[in-house]
Amino acid sequence: MRNIPSSNLWRTVSIAAVLSTLLMLTGFGYAVKDMLWPQGETFIGESPTTPPPENKSLSASSEIRITAFGDSLTKGTGDATGEGYVKQVMALLTEKWDKPVSLTNNLAVNGMHAGRLSELLRGDKGYEYAISQSNLILFTIGGNDLFQLATGKSASEATGEVDLDKLKEQLPSGLQRFKAVIERIHEINPNAQVVYMGLYNPFYDIDELREGSLAIQQWNQEAYAIMHPYSNMTLVPTFDLFENTIGTYLSSDHFHPNHDGYAQIAARIVQSLD
Amino acid sequence: MDRLLPLIQNETLKIWKKKRFYVVVLVLLVLIPIFTYAQMKIAENNQKNFRDWRSQTMQQISDYQNALSSERIPEEWKRFRRIAVQQLQYYLDHDVNPRSPDGVTFTRGFMANSVTLFYPLLVLAIASDLVSGERSSGTIKMLLTRPVRRWKILFSKLVALTLYVSLIVVASGILCYLISGAIFGYGGWTMPIFTGFLINGSDVDSAAVHAVPQWLYMLMQAGLIWFSSMTVAILALMVSVLVRSTAASIVTMMAAVIAGTILANMSSSWTSAKYVFAVNIDLTGYLAGSPPPIEGMTLLFSLLTLGGWAVAALIVSFGVFTKQDILN
Repeated sequence: MRNIPSSNLWRTVSIAAVLSTLLMLTGFGYAVKDMLWPQGETFIGESPTTPPPENKSLSASSEIRITAFGDSLTKGTGDATGEGYVKQVMALLTEKWDKPVSLTNNLAVNGMHAGRLSELLRGDKGYEYAISQSNLILFTIGGNDLFQLATGKSASEATGEVDLDKLKEQLPSGLQRFKAVIERIHEINPNAQVVYMGLYNPFYDIDELREGSLAIQQWNQEAYAIMHPYSNMTLVPTFDLFENTIGTYLSSDHFHPNHDGYAQIAARIVQSLD
Repeated sequence: MDRLLPLIQNETLKIWKKKRFYVVVLVLLVLIPIFTYAQMKIAENNQKNFRDWRSQTMQQISDYQNALSSERIPEEWKRFRRIAVQQLQYYLDHDVNPRSPDGVTFTRGFMANSVTLFYPLLVLAIASDLVSGERSSGTIKMLLTRPVRRWKILFSKLVALTLYVSLIVVASGILCYLISGAIFGYGGWTMPIFTGFLINGSDVDSAAVHAVPQWLYMLMQAGLIWFSSMTVAILALMVSVLVRSTAASIVTMMAAVIAGTILANMSSSWTSAKYVFAVNIDLTGYLAGSPPPIEGMTLLFSLLTLGGWAVAALIVSFGVFTKQDILN
């Protein structure tokens, strides 16, 4: 520093500092003005430009893009490894066809029910985008509609309080909401393969609640009827996995499958795809 | 004005020659690359897992929603998440990327995250020994025996301090941009950022939301950082007048700032903590629309609180400094 005379140094430092101070004061003043008297104004960015995937069967496509959504089953609750069926489906598909398999999104939220899902599919641009960008859609829904609304509690906590009559009462309205979901998925992306995982009765081993399986089967049958008009949609049954082998495939919360249970479901989903 | 300008020049050059500003720049030069590297790792990971920013934002929303559906999560934490979900959704609905990976965005994030602790620390490096340093080295006697009124001496120190606070904020921004830009690219100046989210409990009112280009957002953010740094600087000047040793002065100020940050994180039930200056330091949160540490706090409230503390500190500093006996 010795070779710079102090007056030169002073000039440099002071000019830089005074300019900085003025800049900061401007910024501060603008921030205060902008925040105390804000003026709302809608700004819309650029719509997505990425092309949707090719319209071919999965085995003929060059890559597989998966979007999964729905309730805790798609989330993978109960699987100690956190994979759930979605990640296992990805692994099996990679093995089956040896092509890139990617997960666009797993949007599942614990406790999701058909009414909320149908709202999201209609109002949430993110769902629309994720679904339109995929050629394989995996989802589960309905469990919470039947169990939660029948007990007023979240599905996984409802054990022992399930009222079978109420469960049956929920069927028609639940199915109506399910229909709205299916129609909306078809509207957003009529080309993707859609796989819906049917419901099972997690209380099959409790004698008083075994009868619930009949209501569940009624749901599955109606759901199949709703999906039937769309040739790209498949319902994969799961109820049989959780009858005699319920102890092997159900996790300790006695509601969600465990890792092996999800593995069986994943295997079935992959078998159904072409 | 006679004699004031030379005094300011003298004080400014003293701080420069004490190489305090070098220390600040050096600290920035070490820390910024570390954060840049960490951010680069995160960006790489995101790029591997997500197709584009929309999937990434969607996934973030759905992760937050899952946390919200858990009964184990405390209500206070849920409130923050609910607000974050609504803001992310707003970005998604308006086709705007909430955080594109570029140098300007990184700098914006770095500066916003530094406002509560890092900037106060840098400011203290310069402010803490302004008066107490003169005392421990004994030069204060020379200063005060000159035929200059005492208030002018303290005032010139205050002006020099203000100049350095501005330099710190600007230099940190420039250094951060230059270093992180080398990794993330130097773009992002015109990217739109939403500001004007109003928080009501756990709801976000988006009536006043508008987009500003990122350069303007940065400027506004820097201005707010400057204001809170100035409050810390003025308080530090007061402590340095009151306390004899520089170490004690740094420790006192640091303790106050850290205590404030901790309070801000946990004091939702003790509402009068909002009058503590350090709880109000994070002015940038209002710009970004993040919920204030204590419900009911607004930008105006925080500005007035900080301003009140600063004015009180100035009164005490000038009162004590002009009357004080200089012993030993």
